[in-house]
Amino acid sequence: MTWSALLLSLQVTLVATIALSVIGLVLAFALARFEFRGKVLVETLINLPLILPPSVVGYYLLIILGRRNPILEWLEWQILFTWQGAAIASTIVGIPLMVQASRAALSTIDPVIENAARTLGSSEWELFRRVTLPLARRGILAGVVLGGARALGEFGATLMIAGNIPGRTQTLPLAIYDAVQARRYAEANRMVILMTIIALAGLWTVRLLESKRMSQRG
Amino acid sequence: MGDRLIIGIEKELSGFRLMIDLSIAAEIFVLFGPSGSGKTQILNALAGLMNPDRGEIRLDGRTLFRSLDDSVTINLPTRERRMAMVFQQYALFPHLTARENVAYPLRKDKSNADRLLQRMQLDHLAGRYPYELSGGQQQRVAIARALAADAKVLLLDEPFSALDRPIRDQLHRELIALQEETGLVIVYVTHSLDDAMTAGNRVAIINGGRIEQVSSLTEIFTHPRNRSVLEIIGVPNVINGTIKEDGLEWSGLGLMTKVQQKGRLGEVVTAYVPSEEITIEGIDGEVNGSLDDSHQNRFRGRVVRSQASGLVQRHWVELPNRQLIESARRDGRRYLNGEMVEVKIPADRIIFVEK
Repeated sequence: MTWSALLLSLQVTLVATIALSVIGLVLAFALARFEFRGKVLVETLINLPLILPPSVVGYYLLIILGRRNPILEWLEWQILFTWQGAAIASTIVGIPLMVQASRAALSTIDPVIENAARTLGSSEWELFRRVTLPLARRGILAGVVLGGARALGEFGATLMIAGNIPGRTQTLPLAIYDAVQARRYAEANRMVILMTIIALAGLWTVRLLESKRMSQRG
Repeated sequence: MGDRLIIGIEKELSGFRLMIDLSIAAEIFVLFGPSGSGKTQILNALAGLMNPDRGEIRLDGRTLFRSLDDSVTINLPTRERRMAMVFQQYALFPHLTARENVAYPLRKDKSNADRLLQRMQLDHLAGRYPYELSGGQQQRVAIARALAADAKVLLLDEPFSALDRPIRDQLHRELIALQEETGLVIVYVTHSLDDAMTAGNRVAIINGGRIEQVSSLTEIFTHPRNRSVLEIIGVPNVINGTIKEDGLEWSGLGLMTKVQQKGRLGEVVTAYVPSEEITIEGIDGEVNGSLDDSHQNRFRGRVVRSQASGLVQRHWVELPNRQLIESARRDGRRYLNGEMVEVKIPADRIIFVEK
């Protein structure tokens, strides 16, 4: 049970982290660089999952992704009570952290440096890839780590839309809750330690990547 | 014959209206004016970082921008304009070494970067990051990087104003050599008269979004077009007067200065006298009595300030009409504050504003 929960957690976290990184970066870029109508509304919606109780976020997802969604119905895609549902819940709760960290990093880049790149013949995409992204990478990386950690630890919203089905949607945090409920403390201990190791390993990997880059510079 | 940059643009900005008509050849062309006069906006319009409301920008027969009746018909993106910009704060990519910065615009053959680094005497610094370079070195890298972009026009926005004088002078010499070598069109924005003097072939005086005068600086000093030009180049000893039969009646002074003058009788004119042309002499004995005919270009006044800078001694003398006259001489004479002196203004050295 522990191992299937671990594998499922890693799978959900990996997919959610990739999704929240890409979506979060696009949103952060749009918010940092453009003024548009309804910007405040978009910001509020992005940050809502930070403030709302996870069960409320889960309830909204339940309604949006439920049986009555015509697109999902047309695709014949059943999301509720699957690991994909858990991944979606994790993505949604992780996005605000990704957006905040990377938006802050993007805003600190001197626009003069980006204009310099433009006058040197760079297209917008080349500028983003060769200048903006490398300069903002610390903040972006921090956003990925924070969002990923949030995805890994996601509990409430996942419970609402994916349930707690062992082997199918029971991620580590849910399995820990289950084990404690059933007084299987040895199993709970094992999983708590596992979870802690994963979290520490994640943080150390990021540190390692950073210090490697730093030593390359100096 | 090199490239020619032709600019005719208008833009409503906060506080003033930018209206520019210029034709710039392969030369170092200086845009000189006070802060907020619109100089940088001109560069931004050229580079495509700002869109004018109306007008046209052409480079060597190719139209880069055209807008008629507020509808833009041609607007090449910045990357296709072949105008590389060099900024006051260098704007190097902080995550790249000097060599990587210079190689940034190069597509395939990065070896050109080494040649350019060598050209700018930077080969020994190629592996350093911008934060490991001095301001002068960073700006050299920025210039090398702009050259690597194979641009036809270099736009320099206050490029050396954050640098010390000797480094600035050297970079100016290098820039002039570079222009002669490459035949590039170089547009150089500055608010420093020193920079304008050392860098440019021709200078446009910009004020409030308009061009007041375009010519060599010598020409601007000897034939200033209007009062605004005088204010911008910051000349001392500006005088207003009316042309009379026997000379210029100096407003407020009730005295006449004999001048070699063109212009109609009764015309109100503005003029200035370079401080180097004004001598002052001590007065022996009593200070009174009117000035006789032979002394028509002499005034009495009181020294209110003096200052020695190097070999040059400056005095500021207050005339009876409270106007300050500045004299800068190298004759070694010094007068004390409060001392009454005689100011001598050579009639043939008075420079009149053209209109």
